[in-house]
Amino acid sequence: MFRSVESVLGILIIIGAGAVVYDVLAGSRGLDLGYFQANWLRYARAVQVNLLATSIAFVVGMGIGFLVGWARSTRTQPIRKILSDFHQAKVQGTARGRSALAVTIAVAGVRHYLRRIADGYVEAIRGTPLFVQIIFAYAVATTFYPRLAGVEFFAGVVALTINTGAYQGETFRAGLQTVHTGQVEAARALGLSRWGAMRHVVLPQALRLVVPPLTNEYIGLFKASALLYFISVFEITFLSKQEAYQGHPFESFAMITGIFLLITVTIARVVQYFEARFRIPGLGIEPARD
Amino acid sequence: MIRTEDIHKHFGALHVLRGITLEVTRGDVLVIIGPSGSGKSTFLRCINLLVRPDEGRVFIDGVQVNRADIRPEWVRQQVGMVFQSFNLFTHLTALENVALGPIRVKKAPRDEAETKARQLLARVGLAAKEQSYPAELSGGQQQRVAIARALAMDPKAMLFDEPTSALDPEYIREVLDVMANLAHEGMTMIVVTHEMGFASSVASRIVFMDGGIILEEGRPLDIFEHPKNERTRAFVSKILR
Amino acid sequence: MAVATEHVGRTRAPPIFSLSNAARIVEMVIGGLLLISIMSVVLKFDIRDPRLWAGYGPNFVRGFWGTLGYIALILPISVGVGFAAGWARVSGHRMLAWPAGAFVDFFRGVPPIVVILFAFLFGVDFIPLRVQLFLQDVFGTSSNSLPFTLAAFAVAFHSGAYQAEIFRAGFQSISRGQIEAAEALGMRHFQTMRSIILPQTVRLSLPPLGNEFAVLIKDTSLLGALGATELVGLSQEFTAQIPISGGQIVWAFAIWSSVALTYFVMTFLVTRLLRLIERRFRTPGLDVMSL
Ligand SMILES: Nc1ncnc2c1ncn2[C@@H]1O[C@H](COP(=O)(O)OP(=O)(O)OP(=O)(O)O)[C@@H](O)[C@H]1O
Ligand SMILES: [Mg+2]
Repeated sequence: MFRSVESVLGILIIIGAGAVVYDVLAGSRGLDLGYFQANWLRYARAVQVNLLATSIAFVVGMGIGFLVGWARSTRTQPIRKILSDFHQAKVQGTARGRSALAVTIAVAGVRHYLRRIADGYVEAIRGTPLFVQIIFAYAVATTFYPRLAGVEFFAGVVALTINTGAYQGETFRAGLQTVHTGQVEAARALGLSRWGAMRHVVLPQALRLVVPPLTNEYIGLFKASALLYFISVFEITFLSKQEAYQGHPFESFAMITGIFLLITVTIARVVQYFEARFRIPGLGIEPARD
Repeated sequence: MIRTEDIHKHFGALHVLRGITLEVTRGDVLVIIGPSGSGKSTFLRCINLLVRPDEGRVFIDGVQVNRADIRPEWVRQQVGMVFQSFNLFTHLTALENVALGPIRVKKAPRDEAETKARQLLARVGLAAKEQSYPAELSGGQQQRVAIARALAMDPKAMLFDEPTSALDPEYIREVLDVMANLAHEGMTMIVVTHEMGFASSVASRIVFMDGGIILEEGRPLDIFEHPKNERTRAFVSKILR
Repeated sequence: MAVATEHVGRTRAPPIFSLSNAARIVEMVIGGLLLISIMSVVLKFDIRDPRLWAGYGPNFVRGFWGTLGYIALILPISVGVGFAAGWARVSGHRMLAWPAGAFVDFFRGVPPIVVILFAFLFGVDFIPLRVQLFLQDVFGTSSNSLPFTLAAFAVAFHSGAYQAEIFRAGFQSISRGQIEAAEALGMRHFQTMRSIILPQTVRLSLPPLGNEFAVLIKDTSLLGALGATELVGLSQEFTAQIPISGGQIVWAFAIWSSVALTYFVMTFLVTRLLRLIERRFRTPGLDVMSL
């Protein structure tokens, strides 16, 4: 995502150039450097709210995402196949009772509909704007708990969680699907147990596959947390807008974009490093973008 | 027809071609052999100016072509080229691949270009494949389309850079047949290949290149049976085996 | 020539309409209805409430057209910007590649809402008065609508930055051999670009572009935060007035469900439409790539 320090420098230069332009056009006094010194701590505190909301949503969303991805990556047998298998077993005289057949069909049915529900969840979330999801969650929360303190933060985190759950579900599905079947079969053929195959074959691959897109998801979610200002969560965008109105538009814009770039670049860099470190040629999946 | 004088080419510190002087007369088939990295492809590319020689002169039909006032695009219309990796345009069908050059470069009318493309495809035995995309063709078929594509420009000469070395053995024959026919029809050709059967039956002359220079040159029989140079002998005995 | 002719063997593109496709869509509609009815039971609202629609209906319709208008404005700009930036990045000229890289990194690293907000609030200050007056004369833009247009540009640039990466990947995936073969035919740089590189890039970029367009449609909702004349903005305006106008609180749920549903249908249609186009232009050997 970020190839070079050059680019970051370039952005700073562009912002600086913008300041000059602003100075010329709006007749302002240009960038007030003293402002940064006096106020950076307030911005740092405010961005902690973003990081907190993002992290809670990300971790809880990961649980949801794993379940969803797992549900969507399992393959269910069509009932016709189950019946024909049963029929064949009967011919060979190895059939188990009718109740066993009923259970098999029931399990397959339940799994099929679990998968469908997971599909629906992912499609519904990916098809609608996160912004609307946040407003919706806020409307629900304030209707049912109008007087609860911090309800807007809670509503915001819930919306982010539900959102990221769907996107992470996509990632886990891709990861698990890539590794499933063939690799597991090969591992079992070597005599590994079901758990052994999971532990030594599936997980090492799936984790490598899933970490880069999940990092991008974290970065995306962190950026999305800026939306919480709209439901009056006191986070960095809220502060920045407030400050902008109080006569520091340019300083507060530089501050907020600088902070976002710093954090996203840092995370991307760290993960890029580990990714390169643990890279296996020919193994990779694309991240889903929200 | 094609003449080069003292061609030199550097890639950074690497001196790839160190003075290549050659002449190919009309209707000649010149085969170039030599170890990997000896500069065969680079030399071929110098002829149609895909690579610009640092020093030396390239003549086509007596005209020096590596001059500032001659467009390389014009030169490339005079000589066709066939690549080791076919390089058919992925997004076009076989017919479109063959017709593209005449339509875009020579500004020929579309139907005229397509009629001619059909004839050329028939000539290389692929009349039935005109609607296929490259991904739907075997390697041998792709290479035959690539030959037709080069022929569509009515080139005065053809350059072949290891046209069969990316092919599965069973497809090599069909491509070599097309090339041999082309030679019999009198096409001037420079071919980099290690297919010794083709070289000895079709080539009028063979050139052995190593380290960016021509070490030996002669008729197929002389080069294969009685190489004078020690390195030629070693190389020939390796590939004949 | 003495080479045997082979038989025609073209692979067919999968059918655009199939029974399993139709079944999936039916399943989706039923699922959607189910989801909304479950929500309306749990949250005790009725999405068909005529008293709600009597008041909200005009806002919804106006907002819907407003959203379509913004999409029509933003989409072409974003494609233009994205294509230009993607091209600049592979152009090999440092003077082009470097600013394009900075542009892409900036818009990908900063939340779109932040850029939109500041473009809306302070962007006008950057446009000299004379140009503002000129715009008013020529396009009839009122000084009120200019900030919204600037905010829309911010959305376009944000999406453009992502599209630049898509196009760049498309450009870069075209092999050197394709270009060399074109040159060997005597094509000039421009011809090679036009008949070889562009068609392949566009085809390779279509699937990820489809996703990106869906994202862009959803991102227009951010303009609602500024109170723009589009779906989210007008819906927000109406919900804010519910307590004053004597409506029911639960109307908000019905409103936001309808809004969400509308976006869902729009993104669904766009992704399907692009998939259709993609199928129409399917070329064997050019579809294996995923960017
Ligand atoms: N564009 C280039 N840039 C830098 N070095 C190059 C380039 N093209 C070729 N070379 C180098 O020049 C040398 C000669 O390459 P060339 O492809 O002409 O050899 P060749 O005789 O065709 O070999 P092969 O039989 O493997 O095709 C090689 O060492 C190669 O690495
Ligand atoms: Mg070579």
